[in-house]
Amino acid sequence: MRQRISVILFLLTSAVIAVWGTSVSLTSETPVGREEVVFWHFWSGADGKVVDQIVQRFNRSQEQYFVRAVSMPGNNFDMKLFLAITGGDPPDLINQDDPIVADWAHREALYSMEEIAPAEEVDRMKQWLLPAARSLGEYDGKLYAVCNGLDIRALYFNQDLVEAALQRPAPPFLSSTDELDSVAQACTKYQGQQLTQVGYLPDPRRLWAWGPAFGGDFYNEVDNEFTADDDAIVRALDWMVSYRRRLGAHNVATFRQNDQSLPNKMFPLLANRYAVVLDGQWRVRDIEAAQEESLLKGQSPTRYGVWPLPHDPTASGKAGWVNGNVFLVPRHSKQSKGAWEFIKFWTGLDGQQDEAAKTCIAGGWIPVAKPVSDSELFQGYLDEHPLFERFVEFSQTDQVPTPLVPGAARYYREINNLVQRAMYSEEQIDLKAELALISQQMQQQLDRLGDRSHVVDDGGRNE
Amino acid sequence: MSAVTQRRRRLSGWIFVSPWLLGLLILFIYPFIASFLWSFTEYDLLTSPRYVGTDHYQRIAQEIASGEGFGKALVNTVYFAVVSVPLSIFMAISLAVMLNWKVRGQAIFRTLFYLPSMVPIVASSILWLWLLDPRDGMVNGFLGFFYEVPPLWFQGIQEAISLDTPLQFGSKDGLAMMSLWGVGNFMLIYLAAIGDIEPSLYHAAELDGAGVWQKFRHITLPMLSPIIFFNLILGIIQSVQAFTQVYIVSEGTGQPAESSLMISLQLFLSAFRDLEMGYASAIAWVLFALLGLATWGLFRTSKNWVHYRGVRM
Repeated sequence: MRQRISVILFLLTSAVIAVWGTSVSLTSETPVGREEVVFWHFWSGADGKVVDQIVQRFNRSQEQYFVRAVSMPGNNFDMKLFLAITGGDPPDLINQDDPIVADWAHREALYSMEEIAPAEEVDRMKQWLLPAARSLGEYDGKLYAVCNGLDIRALYFNQDLVEAALQRPAPPFLSSTDELDSVAQACTKYQGQQLTQVGYLPDPRRLWAWGPAFGGDFYNEVDNEFTADDDAIVRALDWMVSYRRRLGAHNVATFRQNDQSLPNKMFPLLANRYAVVLDGQWRVRDIEAAQEESLLKGQSPTRYGVWPLPHDPTASGKAGWVNGNVFLVPRHSKQSKGAWEFIKFWTGLDGQQDEAAKTCIAGGWIPVAKPVSDSELFQGYLDEHPLFERFVEFSQTDQVPTPLVPGAARYYREINNLVQRAMYSEEQIDLKAELALISQQMQQQLDRLGDRSHVVDDGGRNE
Repeated sequence: MSAVTQRRRRLSGWIFVSPWLLGLLILFIYPFIASFLWSFTEYDLLTSPRYVGTDHYQRIAQEIASGEGFGKALVNTVYFAVVSVPLSIFMAISLAVMLNWKVRGQAIFRTLFYLPSMVPIVASSILWLWLLDPRDGMVNGFLGFFYEVPPLWFQGIQEAISLDTPLQFGSKDGLAMMSLWGVGNFMLIYLAAIGDIEPSLYHAAELDGAGVWQKFRHITLPMLSPIIFFNLILGIIQSVQAFTQVYIVSEGTGQPAESSLMISLQLFLSAFRDLEMGYASAIAWVLFALLGLATWGLFRTSKNWVHYRGVRM
C-alpha cells in the first residue's frame, strides 16, 4: 500500500513539474509570428530601465524580430555565458565592457559581423563608427564587436579650487604634464602632517591612458609583440610614481582607500578631496546633480571644467585611452540576423540616427557615430550639458583601446598590479625590468595560444 | 529471510542511497577525474581540450621559482595560513578556557562568542572592510594611539611579520584578522573537549601544588592536543581554500598589487577570466598535493606532541 502511495506521489510531482515547465514556455512574451532575439546585458537599476525602454522602442519598430532583454548584473556574466555556449543554448546577443573581444574571437566563441550580416552592411557599419569605436571591435581583420557606447576619460577639475590656488583663471587646456604637476602641487594641502587635499593623484589603473598620452604603445601590431616596456610607457609610469615620491606611499594608499569610504560612492572631486581627477563622462551627471542641489539650497554652485589629457602629438602622443560597451554575437546563436538588426537600431545605422540619439540621451552615453552626435536632437542635449559636450569632442580624437589581443584581460590586470605596487609601497622597483617581464609573460601566453595573424586595419585611426 | 526478500531489501537500499551516490559521482568523482585529465591539456571551456603533456606543471614550477603568478599566490597563501591558523587556535583555546569558567551568564557569553561564526561570510567581509578602513575604521581609531602612521589593512601591501615592514598591517593581515571572526566553531569543539577532561587530573595536580598555569600547561593543553591537531589540519585546509572573503575585499583581483592574491583566487581568475582551465586544473592538483604533503608532515610530527588520553601517539 505504502509503495503504491509513493509511486502515485512521485508521478503526481513529476506531472506538476512537467506542466509547470510547459506553462513557463507558453507564457513567453514574444508575440506570435515574431522571432525572439535573446539579449543578455549587465545593466540593472536605473540603467536597466533605460535599456528596457530602448528594447521596447526597437520592438515597436519591428514586425519581424522581438528582443527579450535579460539583465545579468554581477561578476559572473562570463561564466554563465560559457556554460550557455558549451551547453548549446547561448543568447543571441550580449553586451560586454571588458577587454575580452580578441580572446573570445580567437577561441571562436563569437561570430564576426561579416558572418552574420551582408558584407555591404558591415562595410557601412565600419564607416559609420568613429575610429575609436571601431578600434574596440576589430580583430584579425574582422569586426567581432560593435561598440554601442564609448567611455572616454578626461581630467575633471574644480575650477574654483584651481583658480584660487593659481590666482588666475584656469587654462582652457594643459600644455604638458609639467603644467598638470604645477597645478597639482599648488592645490595640495596639509593640515599639520595630515594630507587633506590632493591636487591630482594618478589612478594606478590609468597607465593605460597615460602610456599612450606619452607616446607609448602597449602592443606592436606589426610584429605581434607585447611592448609594455616601451620607453614612453616607462616614462609615463615613472611620472605617475613621482606623485608617490612626493606624497609618500602611505599617503597615496590611504587617500585612495578613503575615496571608497565616501557616502554613496560619491565622486571624490565633489568632496573637495582633489582639485583634478581623471574620470569618465558618467561623472558629468554627478556634477550636474551637485550643482543643482547647491542652487536649490540657495548657494552658488561650485564650477567645474574638463581638460583633455596633456599630450604631445609631435612625439606620437595619443589623446587618451578608450573603452566602452560592445555588442557581441555568441557563436551558435540562433537569431544572429535579429541581433544585427538590433545592433543597427542602437548604433543608428541606416537612417536611425534619431533613435540612436534618443538612446544616448537616455543613458548619458557618448554616440559611436558622428552623424548621431551631429543630429539636431543630440546637439540640443549637448547645449544643455556643456561638460558632456567636451567628452563627445574628445571621442572624435585619437583615443586608443587596450590592445585587441588574446590575453588582454590578463595584460590589463598585470599592468595595473605593477602600477599599484609602484604607487602604494616605498619599494624601489626597476620599472622597465618589471614591464619587460610582463611583456615576456604575455608573449609566452600568446605563443601558447598558437600563432595567429591579427593584423588590425588602422582604419584611419589617426584621422 | 528468503532470497527474494533479501534481493528486494538490497534494491531498496540502493534506491535510498542513489541520490547521494549520484551526487558523489556527478559532483565529486567526475570533476575529480576530469580536472586531473584537463591539467594535461590546453582547455578554454569553449573549444575541445588539446593535450599538452606536463606543460602546466612545468609552468607552475617556473612560477614557484620566480615568485610570479602561482608562486606569488603560494607565498601569500602560506603567509595567510601561518598567521591565521595559530592565531585562530590560540583565540579559540583562550575563549574556550574562559567560557568554561563557572561565572554568572556563562551560557550568554558562550552564545555571544559563537554568534559571529553564524554571520554569512559576505556580510562579515563587508563589516570588516568598515572596521579596518584606514581612516575611519574603528580598529585604526584605536591603533592611532600607538601608531604614528596607522596601518593600511586591505589597501596595504605590507606584511606585519616581515622584516621589511614589521608590525605594519597589510591586506593579508586584515584577512587573518577576519578569520578570527569565525573561531566560534573551533571554540565549540575545544569547549566540549575541555568538559571531557577528567576532574580527577586537576585534583591530583592541585594536591601536588600545581597552580593555574601549570594545570593548563600540563593537563589542559596535552588533553586538548588531539583536538588542536584536528583543528590545525582543518584550519590549514580552510585557509588554503579561502576565497569568498578574498574575492570581496580585493574586488576579485587580489589587489593591491596582488598582495591578497591567494591560490584559490588565482585558480578562479585563471579558469574563468583568462580561460585557462587546464592550467587552473593543474593548480588545483598542485594544491591538493601540497595539502596532502602538509597533512602527512603534521601526522609525522604529531607523534611528538599529540597525546591520546595520556598516550603519546
